[in-house]
Amino acid sequence: MKDSSTLKSKIYTVSELNLEIRKSFEEGYPDIWVEGEVSNFYFHDKKHMYFDLKDESSKIKVVMFHGSNKNLLFNIEEGLHILINGYISVYEKRGEYQIVAVDARPVGKGSLILAFEQLKEKLEKKGYFDLIYKKNIPILPRRIGVATSIGGAVIRDIILVLKHRFENFHLIVRDVNVQGATSSDEICEAIDDLCQYGVDVIILARGGGSLEDLWAFNTEKLAERIFNCPVPLISAIGHETDYTISDFVADKRAATPSVAGQLVILNKTEAMENLKRINKRISSLIISKIAMLKKEINFLIKKRMFIKPETLLNKFNQAASEFSSKLIENMKKLIRTRRGKISGYRQLMDKKNIFKKIYIYKMVTRNIDTRMISNMKNYLNLSKSKLKLMLESLREKNPVAVMDRGFAIIYKAEEDKSIRSINEVNVNQKIRIMLRDGILNAKIFDKMYRKLKLGIKNEN
Amino acid sequence: MKIEKMSFEESIKKLEEIVKELEDENISLEESMEKFEMGIKLSSNCLKKLNEAEGKIEELTRSEDGKLVTRELDLEKEN
Repeated sequence: MKDSSTLKSKIYTVSELNLEIRKSFEEGYPDIWVEGEVSNFYFHDKKHMYFDLKDESSKIKVVMFHGSNKNLLFNIEEGLHILINGYISVYEKRGEYQIVAVDARPVGKGSLILAFEQLKEKLEKKGYFDLIYKKNIPILPRRIGVATSIGGAVIRDIILVLKHRFENFHLIVRDVNVQGATSSDEICEAIDDLCQYGVDVIILARGGGSLEDLWAFNTEKLAERIFNCPVPLISAIGHETDYTISDFVADKRAATPSVAGQLVILNKTEAMENLKRINKRISSLIISKIAMLKKEINFLIKKRMFIKPETLLNKFNQAASEFSSKLIENMKKLIRTRRGKISGYRQLMDKKNIFKKIYIYKMVTRNIDTRMISNMKNYLNLSKSKLKLMLESLREKNPVAVMDRGFAIIYKAEEDKSIRSINEVNVNQKIRIMLRDGILNAKIFDKMYRKLKLGIKNEN
Repeated sequence: MKIEKMSFEESIKKLEEIVKELEDENISLEESMEKFEMGIKLSSNCLKKLNEAEGKIEELTRSEDGKLVTRELDLEKEN
């Protein structure tokens, strides 16, 4: 074996060798592009990214430091097919070579689209788009808040639509940049300001543009702000075909800013017409209700007794006086027969047969008494059932039942005749109003001619 | 709930209920008068609400001391 000192070649320390290799790699591959699939992804403390880039048969280590990866819009994740730009270096401590990536982009689609898709998926999983969290947009907001750029056409479009729908709308505009690096943060601030000032609804609006132009509305921060916004929010970004994350999180998406103007408040003319229609309907319902009752009353009035309630009493009086006069007549008749019979008996009486006669007399008298009592009873029974029939028919046609439904009978103060026309009384004349539970004494202070069906007038 | 405190939405909803109730033929005259009166109050409340908004366009900004303030916004002038 030869002594090491006899070797002509240079002897390196490990460190020296690795350092030299590193230098040659860095010089040899200072700016390379490499494409492959991400595996073994590790995001250390959410700062530096470590992963392998591989194809079917080979792989290489990649590191992407925080300074480079913080600008990535999309997330690098396991299995993602990406293109990396960077240089080859050596991690001398372990003697491992690796790509130090300075930039990365997805293969097959743009970074923005991928970033959009990734954020959308993430927020969807978190439930940010769930319908249960969507607040109702008020149909009649007193103050409408808009966060948009006042330099653009968008605010003018919204105002134009609002002018057509609701002349006295109250709009609070919060001017904000809707494009550029800081716009997303500014929009978050604008939402906060509008909430703090106090509006009933907020419109986030921006005109159309590329995905990049609309990027401010695709950030996680804004999504969170919208999700936690206590005021109902309408997202009106770009054209009908443009979708942003804010559209998904918002309580309502308007295809365009003009549509937002339509969604944010009701059409006043239509609302007024609807109110008129309802007013007409309730008025006509009450009028027909009254007409129906009037008809019913007319029917009752046609029954004579309702014209003069006193006729009812007359009938009773008549029945009562009939009853009493019959009673008196019967009594008189009985007394007459009795008297006649008594005088007859007197003649029959003599001293001889006095006891016998007295006996006969007693018998006859008793007989008469019994007959009289049973006659009286019969008559009373008959009268009772007659009265019962009359009471029943009275109950059927009872004016009190009609009064229960809100009707009254009006009499002149000095007369018992009910009045049916305002012509029957004069101003200042006293009247009596009979209600179911009593009588009101009143005085006429005014007279107006009006047909009953016009009694409730529909004010339009 | 007091009618004056009801929102436009609530008032309209209640009005529509009243129409349905009045359509019921069995309702008494007294009840229907009550409903009718309430309907008239509700619809005037709706009308009031429709005219309540102030009808102006304002810009929300912050004053020098950082307070939120509004000022009339004239977009014709802005351009």
